[in-house]
Amino acid sequence: MTRHERRDLRNGLLFASPYIAGFLLFTLYPVAASLYYSFCQYNVVRPPVWIGLENYHTLFFDDPRFWKSLYNTLYFTAFSVPLGLAFSIGLAMLLNQKIRGMSVYRTVFFLPTIVPIVASSVLWLWVLNPESGLINGMLRQIGIEGPGWIASEHWAKPSLILMSLWSVGGAMVIFLAGLAEVPQTLYEAADIDGASRLMKFRHVTLPMLTPTILFNLVMGLINSLQYFTQVYVMTGGKGTPVDSTMFYPLYLYRNSFYYLRMGYGSAMAWLLFLVILSATLALLVSSKRWVHYHGE
Amino acid sequence: MRTFLIWAAVICCGAAVFAALWPRQAVGDAERKALAEGRTIIQYWDRHQGHEYDMRLGFIDEFNRSQDKIYVRAISVGYDGIMEKLLTAIAGSAPPDLCSLESTMMAQLASQGCLMPLEGFMAADPEFAPANYFPHAWESVAIDGHVWGVPTTTDVYCLLWNKNAFRVAGLDPDRPPGTFDELQEYAEKLTIRRGDTIEQAGFIPWQPWDMTAMWGLLFGGRLCDENGLAVCGNDPAMVRMMEWQQSFAADPNSAANPPYAMDPEAMSSFTRSLGAYMSANNPFYSGKVAMMPEGEWQVTFIPKYAPNLDWGVAPLPTPEGVEPMVMGWPCVVDCIPRGSRHPEAAWAYIKWFYSARPGGGPSPASDYCYAIHNVCPRKKDALQERFTSNPKFKVFVDVLFERKVVSLPPMPLLQFYNDELERQRERAVFRKTTPEAALMETQEKVNAELERQRRFVERSP
Repeated sequence: MTRHERRDLRNGLLFASPYIAGFLLFTLYPVAASLYYSFCQYNVVRPPVWIGLENYHTLFFDDPRFWKSLYNTLYFTAFSVPLGLAFSIGLAMLLNQKIRGMSVYRTVFFLPTIVPIVASSVLWLWVLNPESGLINGMLRQIGIEGPGWIASEHWAKPSLILMSLWSVGGAMVIFLAGLAEVPQTLYEAADIDGASRLMKFRHVTLPMLTPTILFNLVMGLINSLQYFTQVYVMTGGKGTPVDSTMFYPLYLYRNSFYYLRMGYGSAMAWLLFLVILSATLALLVSSKRWVHYHGE
Repeated sequence: MRTFLIWAAVICCGAAVFAALWPRQAVGDAERKALAEGRTIIQYWDRHQGHEYDMRLGFIDEFNRSQDKIYVRAISVGYDGIMEKLLTAIAGSAPPDLCSLESTMMAQLASQGCLMPLEGFMAADPEFAPANYFPHAWESVAIDGHVWGVPTTTDVYCLLWNKNAFRVAGLDPDRPPGTFDELQEYAEKLTIRRGDTIEQAGFIPWQPWDMTAMWGLLFGGRLCDENGLAVCGNDPAMVRMMEWQQSFAADPNSAANPPYAMDPEAMSSFTRSLGAYMSANNPFYSGKVAMMPEGEWQVTFIPKYAPNLDWGVAPLPTPEGVEPMVMGWPCVVDCIPRGSRHPEAAWAYIKWFYSARPGGGPSPASDYCYAIHNVCPRKKDALQERFTSNPKFKVFVDVLFERKVVSLPPMPLLQFYNDELERQRERAVFRKTTPEAALMETQEKVNAELERQRRFVERSP
């Protein structure tokens, strides 16, 4: 390494040092510490006590609520992620037309994404209110008595899935960028071959969007497996009714901060990390079969 | 050399920005003046919010004006999240010097070594003699030979009823239900249904608060034994209580539901639709719920939020065969967290707040209770004429002297126990479990957690 390169390296590291220090102190250390705590009994105030695999054993064999919370989270993910993808692709297709005022429409559909989560959760509490809510009010106008939505054991999770569509604006913008990348020549070739609009979507647009779909799929999966704020606000942190909205991160939070079981909470956090890691890796591995990059 | 100078300038600028942004110790003119006078600043975290916190601030201002050595800086932390914030602050060695808490939280924090025992400060001070307090209030702060807090208020639960709803239902508006049978009969008459939905509920045992533990005690049940172990699963009175709560939700597979029973899904929709507690939309104020178990603070809340409401208050009926009792929820208490930088100054404020004013005037604590209409935990204060001259408030005070008071035991896992009872109550209402199984599961879970905690303390260095 030359003297000049050494100086550049030093300067580069110095400029990056605030981030590096912050990362080491506030991210890497807590993550590493939580792995240690997951093998301990720990309540923040007293020093942690090593208990080996006891937290994991209790989670797997003695805590039915752990399985219930995992089920709720996976159920939510299984429906909200594909639905969100379909909606955002559909919206992006609609907003990719060449008509007047398109930027206004795009802004309107993106706006919900910038509303703070707590504020939008409070808004949806009103929208889904069984008695005086917007949806049931409209249904009542046409003679239908709507369900209890978030108050109903059977409708609570579908309500949250419906609500998750509120924030598809972010994915929609990424799909719009993806659509702009699809070469026009492919559509022209399809036209020459006599392809219908549906065939062009199926055989040109969709394959060319697969890298964007993969990105949004991975991000959606990670976000929905960590779904917390909305359900915390909308159920007062209780996961009611009858644990139907007791999502995994909420149960983790309750164990850690309500009952001071930080070791148990850390074990839950690491299991969630492993679930997210496995799901992401599985998607990335499978993507070799269905994701088409330009030029491939 | 040039590079060195640039770097030196960058570091100096950074340090200057850092210094400019460093939090100042004083946050207002009064505090700046107090700092200039060399007074000790103590941090006070209050679990009260809204108008209750505003009242508190008035007394803190009075204390600050009376002082030349100490200045109290108060922050309203609120009920939600105070536990997390306090724990984080204690673990980070930056706790407040003083805080107000629910005594249930206090018991949990005390068992984890997060609070300072106060008996050393109290020694030989007649203001803090246990005999001054209602027994249930003192027992909520005196645990395992230590005193962990000073009770500020105590909550008393009575039955509130809406007289207009009684008139509409053809009931005598001046005659509340005197027995459990009457309570159920009135609940049925006061419930208005529209198809599958509920328009007005007569009485729901878990509305506005889920008080499963308290109802259990009112049924003559026990939550824990002499060794602090949960015993609710083996207690017939607790099972009776759970069956009674469950009876308010109709069993879809039974043709023999009591007439006051409502569909559990409809009840859930109804309770989730109700307005905010501290607002004019409170279901009792808006006529959505006709009878409620509620506390003495409603004597302030109702004139504020629903001045035209015609309501009455009476002691809660007790189940047949059980001696008349009253629910006295544990108190809001003032505590000194472990690690407080100025415990003596914190105690000086506590002593001022709870002691009679010079010349024998009422203590600021009793003035505070009067301002927010809470019953004073000290018997003598509770009997002050200003409290008992209000006929509605007098009901809450009298019942504390006339009936046996039942209250939650100060268990270290009370929060956990309570949450588990509430969860199982909900499961029983939705017919996911039976009352017996619900209570047995709670008992096993709580005792398993107690055992975990015991082993933790044993193995702790």
